Amino acid sequence: MESILQVDQLSKSFGKIKAVNQLSFKVGKGQVFGILGPNGSGKTTTLSMLLGLIPPDKGEFSWFGQPPSKESRKRIGSVIESPNFFPYLDAVTNLQIVADIKDKPYDDIDEVLQLASLYERRFSKFRTFSFGMRQRLAIASALLGKPEVLILDEPTNGLDPQGIAQIRELIALVASRGTTILLASHLLDEVQKICTYVLVLRNGVMLFSGDVKEVLSVSDSIEMAAADMHLLKTAVPELPGFSSITETDGIIQVHFSSTVKTSEVNAFLYQKGIVLSHLSEKKRSLEQHFLELLQDTP
Amino acid sequence: MIKLLRIEFKKIRSYKVFWILISLYFVFLAAGILLAEFMINHMVNNINSRMPIPFPHVAIYYFPDVWQNVTFFASIRYVLIFPAIIMIILIANEFTYKTIRQNVINGMSKTEFLISKLLIILLMAGVMTVILAAGAFFIGLSHSGFNEVDFFSKGVPFMMGFFISLICYMVYAFFCGFILRNTGLAIAIFTLYSLIIEPVIYFFLRAPFMFKNTIYTYLPVNSVIRLTEYPAIPMLKKLMGLNLQDHVSFVACLIPIGYAVIMTGIVFWVMNRKDL
Repeated sequence: MESILQVDQLSKSFGKIKAVNQLSFKVGKGQVFGILGPNGSGKTTTLSMLLGLIPPDKGEFSWFGQPPSKESRKRIGSVIESPNFFPYLDAVTNLQIVADIKDKPYDDIDEVLQLASLYERRFSKFRTFSFGMRQRLAIASALLGKPEVLILDEPTNGLDPQGIAQIRELIALVASRGTTILLASHLLDEVQKICTYVLVLRNGVMLFSGDVKEVLSVSDSIEMAAADMHLLKTAVPELPGFSSITETDGIIQVHFSSTVKTSEVNAFLYQKGIVLSHLSEKKRSLEQHFLELLQDTP
Repeated sequence: MIKLLRIEFKKIRSYKVFWILISLYFVFLAAGILLAEFMINHMVNNINSRMPIPFPHVAIYYFPDVWQNVTFFASIRYVLIFPAIIMIILIANEFTYKTIRQNVINGMSKTEFLISKLLIILLMAGVMTVILAAGAFFIGLSHSGFNEVDFFSKGVPFMMGFFISLICYMVYAFFCGFILRNTGLAIAIFTLYSLIIEPVIYFFLRAPFMFKNTIYTYLPVNSVIRLTEYPAIPMLKKLMGLNLQDHVSFVACLIPIGYAVIMTGIVFWVMNRKDL
């Protein structure tokens, strides 16, 4: 896969705090890449370095196989933290400034405003916009000039459910056109729904990275209960792919390191003479997995 | 270059605060210039009423002195503060609205951003100088008529001096707004320094008990104002034997230019090292 972004040992400290610590990763063309981490984990600092706002202490990165420059930034559309526009200018003028900087024609402006459902308000001053509209204008400006990469930092932060849905639809649409997307979020649900690849960040250190589907597939567990719980507990470890067992309120949760079918489990236990009174498959959400990942490392 | 100016022009084109402040500057300036002669002569009349031999009335709108006199009024501290405040607002806004970040993210280099602001200073100073020169020309023409021999001898040097004053003073303001990154704070500190702190320092440096020195000429704001420091009133000169300025000193120009260059250097240095 053609590499769009390559990050190598990137580090940045603010005083004694290591905001980003030896971070390395690669984003391929067309990927929807999620950077997941709690608040203060270094997501925005990382993106700020990648966009030339903060000089890194150590490490390197390259965009489109070249050292970073203003020219590479012109090929990237970004929304970092809050939408930043002149409050006293209307939407069109604000976008014209963006187009001027990016050396792009004004032709796209109407189109991106329509995409963001702001066309009717295009001559309204930015200060009159609601929070959701501001966020949508930021995304509209990021889409200006058909960027090859879209960088979104907490794009749905603080939005109402309708606003969140609108933004996610917009992202899905852009992704379907083959645009590479780099999304930073503290919401697992968001990453789970939008991204194909995820990097988990905590205290500036990468804990984990991999395909979103793979992350999900290793996180299966099955809940069981039987009349004879003791017998059940001795039989369960013999199941293929068994990894661990936990018990709550007369029900045991059995975790597996590989995918297991409930029907196979049932058949196996029946052969052992155990009749289950409860059998239920629990797909652990990425959230649980994420929390576990965060707990594992002190 | 053109592109950067186009972007800057878009930023200020429909910015009401900018146009209000720049209009106020010209309104104050025009009022000051046009009332000056009347007010001076009013004072002369007051004095004359108690004097056996009357002073003659002053005339400040004649060629070639009118050039010097308008630049004197245009660079009084209280008037010159307007373009400086405009400049502080234009740069500090970029931090307040975080548009400086967005500009860089979108593909403007940090250097380009600073150059665009310096270009706006040059352009504003240029336009304001031309407007002032045009005003001075019409005032001069309406008072001197066409039979005046010496139209322009003071025109170019004093207008150049004023142009340099404007540029340097706006660069100071730009520096202040850039370093403080906050509109209100920057305006307060800049105004306080220009209008109160430096005049106080100036007063003490020139006070009789101080040993004779010329350090006061090196004060940053004073050095800007000193370029066109006195009006040309020949009568005063003759009567009181005052040694008033009759030309713009090239050496004096170097002081504010020096400050402006150093400040610009610091701004570029900080911009490329500090986080946005």
